[in-house]
Amino acid sequence: MTTTATPSTGRWTPRRIAVWAAVAVVGAIAWGIIALARGESINAAWLIVAALCSYAIAYRFYARFIAYRVLGVDDRRATPAERLDNDQDFQPTDRRVLYGHHFAAIAGAGPLVGPVLAAQMGYLPGTLWIVFGVIFAGAVQDMVILFFSMRRDGKSLGQMAREEIGPLGGAAALLAVFAIMIILLAVLALVVVNALAESPWGTFSLAMTIPIALFMGFYLRVLRPGRVLETTAIGVGLLLVAIVLGGVIDHSSLAEAFTLSPRTLVVCLVVYGFAASVLPVWMLLAPRDYLSTFMKVGTIGLLAVGILLTLPVLENEAVTKFASNGKGPVFAGPLFPFVFIIIACGALSGFHSLIASGTTPKLIEKESQVRMIGYGAMLTESFVAVMAMVAASILDQGLYFAMNAPAGVVGNTAQSAAAAVTKLGFTITPDQLQAAAQSVQEQSLIARVGGAPTLAVGMSTIFSGVFGGDALKAFWYHFAIMFEALFILTTVDAGTRVGRFMLQDTLGNLWKPMSRPSWRPGVYATSAVVVAAWGYFLWVGATDPLGGINQLFPLFGIANQLLAAVALTVATTILIKSGRLRWAWVTAVPLAWDAAVTLTASWYKIFSSDPLVGFFAQRAKFQEALDAGKVIPPAKSLEDVGQIVTNSTVDGILSILFAVLIIVVIADAARVWLQTLTGSREPVLAETPAEPSHLWAPSGLFPTAEDRARQAEQQKPQPVGASGDRGGGER
Amino acid sequence: MTPRLRPAVGRALWYLREVMGENAYEHYLEHQRRRHPGEPVLPRAEFERRRMDELDAQPRARCC
Repeated sequence: MTTTATPSTGRWTPRRIAVWAAVAVVGAIAWGIIALARGESINAAWLIVAALCSYAIAYRFYARFIAYRVLGVDDRRATPAERLDNDQDFQPTDRRVLYGHHFAAIAGAGPLVGPVLAAQMGYLPGTLWIVFGVIFAGAVQDMVILFFSMRRDGKSLGQMAREEIGPLGGAAALLAVFAIMIILLAVLALVVVNALAESPWGTFSLAMTIPIALFMGFYLRVLRPGRVLETTAIGVGLLLVAIVLGGVIDHSSLAEAFTLSPRTLVVCLVVYGFAASVLPVWMLLAPRDYLSTFMKVGTIGLLAVGILLTLPVLENEAVTKFASNGKGPVFAGPLFPFVFIIIACGALSGFHSLIASGTTPKLIEKESQVRMIGYGAMLTESFVAVMAMVAASILDQGLYFAMNAPAGVVGNTAQSAAAAVTKLGFTITPDQLQAAAQSVQEQSLIARVGGAPTLAVGMSTIFSGVFGGDALKAFWYHFAIMFEALFILTTVDAGTRVGRFMLQDTLGNLWKPMSRPSWRPGVYATSAVVVAAWGYFLWVGATDPLGGINQLFPLFGIANQLLAAVALTVATTILIKSGRLRWAWVTAVPLAWDAAVTLTASWYKIFSSDPLVGFFAQRAKFQEALDAGKVIPPAKSLEDVGQIVTNSTVDGILSILFAVLIIVVIADAARVWLQTLTGSREPVLAETPAEPSHLWAPSGLFPTAEDRARQAEQQKPQPVGASGDRGGGER
Repeated sequence: MTPRLRPAVGRALWYLREVMGENAYEHYLEHQRRRHPGEPVLPRAEFERRRMDELDAQPRARCC
């Protein structure tokens, strides 16, 4: 630690040593109980305790080591927010507030959906990956990218890839970002479609969010400018009324009008996505974002309280047989690599690197705060994923598989589903299935794939255990569905807009007017292209005879992990170029792991001879049937067979594209690493030169004694002409 | 409300207002006072309108 200003940490008093030793011992005991207990049920509390103790140790020791040793955060150096403060995109923001913004931007439905699907292999593999993946890969990526982008005045991941690796790596990274965005939007929208299909209550409540948002937008624009809190409170109130009203609609003659098929919902979502992309943000996007942020934090808090108060017992097994035989109905393929693909958000999510290299680095007050904001916010998201795993694992396994296996496996009736579940090796009677559906006032819970309905049943079980009992179970179910759909739609409309801007920007290089945000034809055309792209995959997913989630979710995971590989490659390149080879393992080891996972998964998806797993094997099987004019299940007609052939071809080509992109980025970076290490090229870093900082703010959540002293110093009246012109962190 | 609870509620409210962006106008006034003293400032309605319209030009990605 020669060049950096490491804060004095205080001495290791016996009490401090005892506290950390206790955290370690409690965590180890919890992990031991989870991993070793067999044949008896485990309380969810052990999962929570194991995760929290692991996070505490990782944050205290590993994140600190990365911040001060590897990155060399330096609080004597001014951040872009301090240097370029323009009260708009650059402005020093209180660390706790920025943590809130950053968390709201990175966390959404992803960490809630992935673990639910991965629960088919048992709670243990998924939980281990969520906790250790975040500690050694996900949170590291978020913090490191946030730091490097901050040192470059908030440059985007694509720009950093171009500057630090080269034009080829940069172009591949940009293409990867765009492709991932499309798949991500399609899969998330598919989760909404599956949650709302044939459910008048859910559809009505969600449809009501549009007039509510329009009203909020108008209120905020015209009646009470800037009164965000008040507007949001009104919006949340109206939202709760909409959920209650949904229950009334469900029993009325209007129910018919809100009972929509998946196909109709797809059309609605596409129209909505287009409208949200071309309308001014104040009308729809901004108010929805307020609602979504508020509901997100509120519901996640409620879930944590619910789990801690009810301390439910897990019904799921630690490891199910699908972990080893790879024939799970929810998604096919063996534990490695597919658990690590299915759970992206919550463990390692490449998409975060776009946020960590976008708005957040321009707002950060002090360099050392990257630990709390980058690493800390990701740990929080990981905790959300652990809670989702708990919510899915407290369900009866028979119910879980009846809900999550595609319709092609479980059929449409309670009888066929019960029979199919028995064939899978679990038990549930048709009556139990009916009762479960009735308790949440849904027509049926069979093949409600996508994760959201399962999570909603789990959450309604937990919530109704604390608030309201069985009487409120249906309310809580639809509350959970609504809030998930709400923030998925926020991701979809924001993502469509970001995609539109990326496309406008790229096309602007070829033909200038395209990049002008005010040129309406350009706006309409690019919005249409982006919506059509994800709309295509959404349509395919909603109509796929093999089950869209089962087919597309692995692609979504591969895409997200691919982006993580790009981010970790950029980070490793910067570490090597800045002469920190001996610390490069911090990002290189997660990169190696991530590349192994992604490429193995791509290998399976491209080359596996099992038609359940490999896209081209699937294609061959159904093409053969098509040539012979034979209809093989789960297809019901020759048309279905033809559709499967087309879908598997598209999905297979996409898998190839993703694998090629990842190889190009890593190979191009390896060239730069080699050049740097052999000294054949002088490394050029794009870092902004250091300027001294005149601002002091605490690095962690709680100010230390030193922080308080520095802040008191800063708040003294300054002599005229002093350059330290900014108030302290505590405003 | 007990006296012990009051600061906690105040802090929670401060946090909510900050996170949701309700205090943006106050931050703007402070910024102008510090960096551009003596220059005229925008009225709140106009400031909020511009702030919202800036979002139009810089969409923020939301993750999953």
